[in-house]
Amino acid sequence: MSKRKERIRIGQGPRIYRKASAEQPEKLPGLYLHIPFCRRKCDYCDFYSVAATDDKARQYTQALIAHLEEAAGIVHSQIETVYIGGGTPAMLGIKNLSLLLGTVRKLFKLAANPEITVELNPESTDKALLKSLKKAGCNRISIGIQSAVDDELKRLGRLHSFEDAKKAFKIAREVGFKNISVDLMYGIEGQTADSLAYSLSEILSLDPEHISCYGLKVEENTPLWRRREKAELPDDDAQAVFYETVCETLGRAGYTHYEISNFAKPGYASRHNLKYWRLEPYLGFGPGAHSDFGSRRFSYVRSVDAYIEGIKNGGEIIDYMEDVPQKERAAEYLMLRLRLSEGFAPSEYMRLFSKNFEPIEAKLREYEEQGLARYDGRWALTTKGFLLSNSIISSLI
Amino acid sequence: MTSATLDLVSVRQPSEPDEGSGSEGSWAERLAHEAYRQAPEVYIRIDFPEYDNFGRPQFAIDCGCLLLHMSIIWMCVGYSQMTSVSTFSKIFSICYNYFIKPQSGGGRSLQDISKIRNFSIIAHIDHGKSTLADRLLELCHAVDEREKEDRILDNMDLERERGITIKARAVKLNYKAADGEDYILNLIDTPGHVDFNYEVSRSLAACEGALLVVDAAQGIEAQTLANTYLAIDAGLEVLPVINKIDLASADPERTAREIEDIIGIPAEDAPRISAKNGINVESVLEYIVNNIPAPKGDPGAPLKALIFDSQYDSYKGVIVYIRVFDGVLREGDLVRMMATGAEYEVVEVGYLKPLGMEKSGELAPGEVGYFTASIKNVQDTRVGDTVTHVENPTPQALPGYRKVQPMVFSGIYPSDGAKYPDLRDALEKLRLNDASLTFEPENSVALGYGFRCGFLGLLHMEVIQERLEREFNLDLITTAPSVVYKVRYTDGHEEMIDNPLKFPDATVLDSAAEPFVSAKILVPSGYTGNIMELCQERRGIFKDMKYIDTDRVELHYELPLNEIIYDFFDALKSRTRGYASLDYELLDYRESDLVKLDVLLNGEVVDALSFIVHRDKAYARGRKITEKLKENIPRQLFEIPIQAAIGSRIIARETVKALRKDVLAKCYGGDITRKKKLLEKQKEGKKRMRSLGSVDVPQEAFMAVLKLDD
Repeated sequence: MSKRKERIRIGQGPRIYRKASAEQPEKLPGLYLHIPFCRRKCDYCDFYSVAATDDKARQYTQALIAHLEEAAGIVHSQIETVYIGGGTPAMLGIKNLSLLLGTVRKLFKLAANPEITVELNPESTDKALLKSLKKAGCNRISIGIQSAVDDELKRLGRLHSFEDAKKAFKIAREVGFKNISVDLMYGIEGQTADSLAYSLSEILSLDPEHISCYGLKVEENTPLWRRREKAELPDDDAQAVFYETVCETLGRAGYTHYEISNFAKPGYASRHNLKYWRLEPYLGFGPGAHSDFGSRRFSYVRSVDAYIEGIKNGGEIIDYMEDVPQKERAAEYLMLRLRLSEGFAPSEYMRLFSKNFEPIEAKLREYEEQGLARYDGRWALTTKGFLLSNSIISSLI
Repeated sequence: MTSATLDLVSVRQPSEPDEGSGSEGSWAERLAHEAYRQAPEVYIRIDFPEYDNFGRPQFAIDCGCLLLHMSIIWMCVGYSQMTSVSTFSKIFSICYNYFIKPQSGGGRSLQDISKIRNFSIIAHIDHGKSTLADRLLELCHAVDEREKEDRILDNMDLERERGITIKARAVKLNYKAADGEDYILNLIDTPGHVDFNYEVSRSLAACEGALLVVDAAQGIEAQTLANTYLAIDAGLEVLPVINKIDLASADPERTAREIEDIIGIPAEDAPRISAKNGINVESVLEYIVNNIPAPKGDPGAPLKALIFDSQYDSYKGVIVYIRVFDGVLREGDLVRMMATGAEYEVVEVGYLKPLGMEKSGELAPGEVGYFTASIKNVQDTRVGDTVTHVENPTPQALPGYRKVQPMVFSGIYPSDGAKYPDLRDALEKLRLNDASLTFEPENSVALGYGFRCGFLGLLHMEVIQERLEREFNLDLITTAPSVVYKVRYTDGHEEMIDNPLKFPDATVLDSAAEPFVSAKILVPSGYTGNIMELCQERRGIFKDMKYIDTDRVELHYELPLNEIIYDFFDALKSRTRGYASLDYELLDYRESDLVKLDVLLNGEVVDALSFIVHRDKAYARGRKITEKLKENIPRQLFEIPIQAAIGSRIIARETVKALRKDVLAKCYGGDITRKKKLLEKQKEGKKRMRSLGSVDVPQEAFMAVLKLDD
């Protein structure tokens, strides 16, 4: 793997942004804008985020805009999706958020019917914010509800109650959002089969278009990691049961399980996230944001100040950059496609990578016998297989 | 002894030697000339530390410290291969002519035999043998302070850590006694472990006396007792020395009584010393001179010398450590090893000094020293063999020689199959120095290609394994140690079996016999019950129990060796808080109800885990091994039954449940690289496991079943 750090000046875009590659044939890119601010960091979160001040928020917005301007000079294709995530994007303030969305629309050619998502947390979501987002072109929001049980929310270190979440959801509907996603978490400290069933039914009663459902993972260097011995965390076997409950319940309620952790009503799968999984191009902006553009993966420094400084003065902001060799693209393809229930067609794999598919097929057949994989012209994992996807995929790559 | 420092002479070989003029030789000659001009008597070190771009060695000769009364050529090679032997021999001969020859001639008269004392030190681990040896060396000014790096007699790291001297060494000391006479004291070190009983007996056979060092606080231990009896049987004068008298818990009088009661030798005059703090150590030297008899021997008789150790040196070949009984051994002599029949021309003869060797040109009766003869292989210089002249040989070899037979066998495999050739090279190198190590290739379905290795005992096995891992940087998997079984087939023929895989099927097995040992265990009387229970569990046959004094007991058991090699030492230690000591010797083979226990993973036999066990123990062992495996085999995509079986009968079963969840739920904002790395790491982890059929087994699982602690 060729990992190298390059000293690049921001004005020298073409050195990072390259033309579309074989695996990304004429796919329209998505943009990701990272807002690295939080009021309080959740106990389980190891994303990069810091506390925000008005001043910092303003400086940061300007840096992002400068960065977007620069990229716009290089990216000539249309943009299909925009995703503003965090952190807590609302921490930027209504004005700055609207400005950002406006800038994106001004600088880039948006495709017809783009998907423009903003992540929101219940406690920092109000009517004014939702209205101005709507006005700025945002047509999809993702609310981090996580659980319908307040005690569980507390243990996660979240700042909202389920009541707050319900309120935020209802306002969003009132304001006119027709595509709302909510996050649900399983494997929370103290969570039981009953409390999970309760959260599921409460969330279903909100009738969102899209549900992301993540298992809690104890990441190193988080408060939860430090108290993991004492925490009453459901073990892997319990999490597996929870996961199956989630899949079953949401399936019955009419949601398609289109990715390991994502469920959507027909037509509402996240187009932005699908880009990650289908190896389509995306450009990330902001500290710690990742891009895959022109066969090249790169990310920016995980520091707001270094990022702002770099953009302002043309210093180095690349944290990591890799021209992904074809062989690894093949591995990425398997790894990401097998997260999707649509899976992949062997013919596409062979066409893209000119690789022998037989050894992989032999393994997949074994997994099929064990009820972990399925084949109907395309290979994909079953629910049981999703749960074991690391073991399965690592044996294939 | 005087010493002085000389300006360092270091001359580099010209990088492009002029062609044709024998440039390397002439360069070396110039260098040697220069060195000789500066210091006519000098100790030279030749290093071959680097190679030039063409792979030729870059010579550098350092003429370092000046030791006026001796000249040693000490050569080190930075790398094992040498590009040009002729270049090397040229340099060697030049150095020899300049430095050695002028001094080695000159008609030295034979050493006065009445002024020689040859002795060993017998002591239990930690009773202070090495410390006492250091003190004696100091008192005889055998080493100067600068060179005194903690313990001199123990050369190997491993020995130092374990506090056990594994390979015998010897040193010649000069001592001016109270009577005004100069004496030569040859201290012959002995290995201190039951595995090396035979080597100890040969070292003792080279001596006239032995110091019995006993810790004044701990008293006599089983090992000491065994070696003391060996010394007494060999007719040695055994002189007790009571050490560590400075300890608060020391009771020298009681220790003296114990020596008298148990061993039956007078101990009231035994020097009471503290080797560590240098208390009364001089008296030991006088004690040696006055009480150990001088050797006897006839310089005119045919040569008769005992090999008590040998060591491989990459320049000189095997260095053979000997004690001369009759005749004189000189450089240039043609000699024969009487048991192996090997014949050689002696190249070099000399004495053994703490930090190397001192050429003497000859060894006379009573003397202890070494010779070299370009011997390639220690297999030719067996411990206990007799060296004699090819012309005029002695009619009678020295008694006591026997070819050592390995008692414990184990399969050794590289954990990375590609390292098989490295393992073979490493074993071959170790065998150069260790005639008792045997090995032959074997292969296992589970572990791939490896070697079936034979060892003198468990410690020997551990030492070899550790040396392979440390000195040769190998990562090993070893199979459970096995003893050699004698099996009789139904057709009447018999076979010795050292590998469980070769154990015959019940249908063709008539009977099987296993080796029994006679074991003596010394234990504080409070623990007697524990030990009797342990021996009972290990199928021991109680023979005898003696009270050594009011609170120490000697237990005598007959035990199957098979039970001793299976974590007996650990059990002994843990049940007596480390106070018990054990000694054993091979007794005989006895018929026994033995079965082969197989381990099955997912229905398939894992050959590397099979072992032979007494039928009564099979169930417990089977249960334990399946439990251990369950703990060590990670959950996989499917359920894995782990079974222990005798033939087709399953006697124990555990199950590794199928893995339920192994998934990266979240796609971190498009951070695919991180995810990819995690999966690659997982893949690497899997590669390090052994794939047995469809089951991935980590190496730790193999190791864990070898250590089934109670």
